[in-house]
Amino acid sequence: MGRKYKNPPILEAVCEFRLTEDTQWDLTVPGLFYERVKHEFPHREQRGIQELEVIHGPQGLQHVIRTTERVLMFAPDRNILVQLGPRLLVINALKPYPTWQGLKPRIEVAWKALQEVVDIKGLERIGLRYINRIEFPHQAVELEEYFDFYPFIGKRLPQEMASFVMVVEFPYVADRDRCRVQLATTSGVEAKTAVILDIDYFLARPRAVDISSGLNWVEEAHSHAEEIFEGCIKDRLRAMFEEVS
Amino acid sequence: MLTSLSGSTILLCPKTSVTELQQVESRAVKALARITQRLLQRGSASIVMEEIEPLSKRSSEDVSIVIEIESVLELLAENVRLHDSNRIREYLLRFTEIIDVVPRAVDAARRHFPEAQLIMEVYEDPEIEDCYLVLYVRLKQYDDSIVERLERAEAEFLDHLADKEGWLQLTTDFREAEDVL
Repeated sequence: MGRKYKNPPILEAVCEFRLTEDTQWDLTVPGLFYERVKHEFPHREQRGIQELEVIHGPQGLQHVIRTTERVLMFAPDRNILVQLGPRLLVINALKPYPTWQGLKPRIEVAWKALQEVVDIKGLERIGLRYINRIEFPHQAVELEEYFDFYPFIGKRLPQEMASFVMVVEFPYVADRDRCRVQLATTSGVEAKTAVILDIDYFLARPRAVDISSGLNWVEEAHSHAEEIFEGCIKDRLRAMFEEVS
Repeated sequence: MLTSLSGSTILLCPKTSVTELQQVESRAVKALARITQRLLQRGSASIVMEEIEPLSKRSSEDVSIVIEIESVLELLAENVRLHDSNRIREYLLRFTEIIDVVPRAVDAARRHFPEAQLIMEVYEDPEIEDCYLVLYVRLKQYDDSIVERLERAEAEFLDHLADKEGWLQLTTDFREAEDVL
């Protein structure tokens, strides 16, 4: 069991299941899925998602526009929602974070419902991502006082930074999984200094996890994401988040 | 030390090295995506970029609501003066259903009022304990057609607010538009 905080910085937790291309998907899936989850996610909305893919190929820049339908299903408090699109299931939990004990059962409900209505052939990707926004009450921040994960700036370089993005990928389980950790300043004009700590633990090898082990993978991913989070921060931040025993 | 600064500096100089040219190309890809994104906003768009990626390839589409909100805020900041962007962010996190309506509304306002200054804020109504997003249109000069023009612009996104939690009001406060450099 990890540490608990009164004011956790989590803006969003995202659990994503992406199915392999050989999984059959048709227009009846969203309706059948909704019938099974409507007790948990009663509010339904449909969105057309247009994606522009810009590819840097041998013939220069090429772009492709794709349109897909995605169904969004919201829990009564609208803090947790499910997104369902072709071969894609996403569970989003927004601030205030409902705790892992509150989120995991919702992931289970959605994942089990999908297995009931789709003959899943494989898992292309599973991901568990935590996006944290950490706000400081003042403008000048000594990162090393708050973090154990921050950009190292040599003494011969200017010590003042206007902005930064730092990304590291850590391998797990013999590189079957990876955890991409990003610390970056927020964009836009802000009166306060704020950084985003984005922890994205994902399955890096398609089909390396059995469908029946999907939920175990998610539990394991949560443990690793929690370790990473605690590894990134120092006690001064823990004090800001108000740790509770 | 990290210091919060507002504003940014753009340096213009001839690019000579391969690295610089690659950086320019990379920026061009991003600019192209941004322009196309604006065009696609009318149909609720999201962007997927595929570039030379030294780390693992990210998921082909971003499914995070927070990232979607940040993209919308970034896009808005180019067209709209955001009054307390943090509150707008919090509002959109609370009323996620209207995230895709915001760019539509801004786009409609911009087309119907190309000369206007647009300002967005979260308005709190103390009488009914309600809050909603307001997009103000400010002009240099107002005439009698303002209400009709507002209605025409509003008609373009009003349907998308139906049956949703959260609201976005397009209106004017009849203040004079500021000169923006």
